[in-house]
Amino acid sequence: MRAGPSQEEIRRHNLGALLRHVHLGGPTSRAELTSRMGLNRSTIMALTSDLTAAGLVREELPRETGRAGRPSLVVRPESSRVYVFAFDVGPDRLAAARVGLGGVILDRRESVRRRGAFDLEEVVGALAAFARQMHRKTRADTVCVGAAAAVSGGVDRSDGVVRYGPNLLQAEAPFGEALARKLGLGLQVSVGNDANLGALAEHTRGVGVSVRDLIYLHGDVGVGGGVIAGGHLLGGHEGFGGEVGHMVVHPGGRLCGCGSHGCLEAEVGERALLEAAGRTTEGPLGRDAVRAVVDAADRGDIVAQAALSRVGDWLGLGVANLVNIFNPEMVIFGGMLREVYLGSAAQVRSRLAIDALPAHREKLRLRTSELADDATLVGAAELAFAHVLADPLEALARVGG
Amino acid sequence: MNPVLEVRGIDKSFGPVQVLHDVTFAAYRGEITALVGDNGAGKSTLVKCIGGIYPIDAGDYLFDGEQVHVGGPRDAGELGIEIVYQDLALCDNLDIVQNMFLGRERRSGLVLDEATMEEMAQQTLTSLSVRTVKSIRQQVSSLSGGQRQTVAIAKAVLWNSKVVILDEPTAALGVAQTAQVLELVRRLADKGLAVVLISHNMNDVFAVSDRIAALYLGRMAAQVKTADVTHAQVVELITSGRSGDLGLTNGVST
Repeated sequence: MRAGPSQEEIRRHNLGALLRHVHLGGPTSRAELTSRMGLNRSTIMALTSDLTAAGLVREELPRETGRAGRPSLVVRPESSRVYVFAFDVGPDRLAAARVGLGGVILDRRESVRRRGAFDLEEVVGALAAFARQMHRKTRADTVCVGAAAAVSGGVDRSDGVVRYGPNLLQAEAPFGEALARKLGLGLQVSVGNDANLGALAEHTRGVGVSVRDLIYLHGDVGVGGGVIAGGHLLGGHEGFGGEVGHMVVHPGGRLCGCGSHGCLEAEVGERALLEAAGRTTEGPLGRDAVRAVVDAADRGDIVAQAALSRVGDWLGLGVANLVNIFNPEMVIFGGMLREVYLGSAAQVRSRLAIDALPAHREKLRLRTSELADDATLVGAAELAFAHVLADPLEALARVGG
Repeated sequence: MNPVLEVRGIDKSFGPVQVLHDVTFAAYRGEITALVGDNGAGKSTLVKCIGGIYPIDAGDYLFDGEQVHVGGPRDAGELGIEIVYQDLALCDNLDIVQNMFLGRERRSGLVLDEATMEEMAQQTLTSLSVRTVKSIRQQVSSLSGGQRQTVAIAKAVLWNSKVVILDEPTAALGVAQTAQVLELVRRLADKGLAVVLISHNMNDVFAVSDRIAALYLGRMAAQVKTADVTHAQVVELITSGRSGDLGLTNGVST
């Protein structure tokens, strides 16, 4: 039996906690860190000097305080020196970004892809090429400390294998492993579900900062979700949790890609909206097509209005169920659901007024994603930084920084 | 929660025509109150009474719980009430900073303090997460409809205002710009301002509002929480002044 954490474990925990403060809160003075972390000044000084020596943070005199006394040094993250690679594999785009400590997007590459089955080799090749281009442009003193990817599919928490993805990669794709090999940076690539990572991103850097219970709904071809409860992402037993798109809202309704009928995704996804608006045959798909329907409805097109109102009704029903179960403080609409919500809010909220419990809906806030199209990338970057924040010095030693 | 702005029992007539009958209305900190009603229901008149442009014939005007007298637009401005009108009142031949400080320019000595004004304008836009405007030294004539609306709203926020009233801010905007303006309006309230939003678009009203106040033929039919009503109920309040238990009885508020 152990007596408690050792000195070394406490120090490691404090280093991580301090780095997390600076990573999420931006430049912070030592005095502020002292009060926020509840540690004494000499401990904070020792911790910052360790992190400074490792090249993770830098200390500077503040510009001006306007107050009497010696100004407290400001601790800044070394955003331009310490970075990760974040990837996003969506149905309509492949994106990669180089994200500095502190969450600054330093560089990014994006390509539009045509809908269709994913070829693992092709996707991994394109993403690795983006990363290599960006890596080549970095200075010699920079250090890459991690990499992570967001994919729209079910990702097994234990091994990063994409177990299913009706809209995407073939089942059982060892995506993380393949991308890590192709990158050749000696880094592991963590993989997460895109909506889960979007939830994490809005919670740490978006509209949901300081909100401990929120639900993020992400729409592209399908509908994904991420549930943050008590400040933690609900993953479930194997990490597949949060698939709100496959909650059945309409038994015997439209056929879903998963094989079931009347899933939320089948009733409010892109295909449902476009079909209801009579715009399936040819023409654009994706965000532009969704926007065109909202635009047409706004201009008085009754078919488009009816389509949006129908989709909004189902969306409201789905949200009402979620609100009754999880009692979140905030529900965030991301991806194409941002347009759908803004274009059908009257239906969504009417449904909520009818079907959500009064106590649950009273203080509920409905918001659209603040990070918009960057939500999944920002979430992937946070996932890539996770091990650095858990144990900064060890993580840095491993990459030889 | 106490309202920041409250008017009680407002009457207003233009000659023999009584436009507002015993109107009560409140706006709360951190919330968006949507003011809805058919054309001619008295929305604009009510807003102009609040803004001090029209004197009120009868009724109480309370700000932060204190009875106040608003004798003109300047009084309303001093209380921290800003109104953004539909026509925006921006000068096309001036840039964004000049527009935001129009008539209230900062001086250092005899000359204008351009650096401070520029910094304040930039800070305000940044605090509202406005990313659509490239340069704040751009002339307003070169901006799109949505960007103009953004500048007009930012101008209202610059002056430590407590209540911002927006008259149809999304009328005549495309879908992408409407979304941006709605999100901006929501951020104003999330920053702690009391926002009053006049709109005819029920989706806009339901997308961002916390409360809905419906005017019907110069009377306040109901002021309700958005979470408690349906689209159909609000439409009934607008068109007939009542819906079930809500609204006016025999044309008079209960």
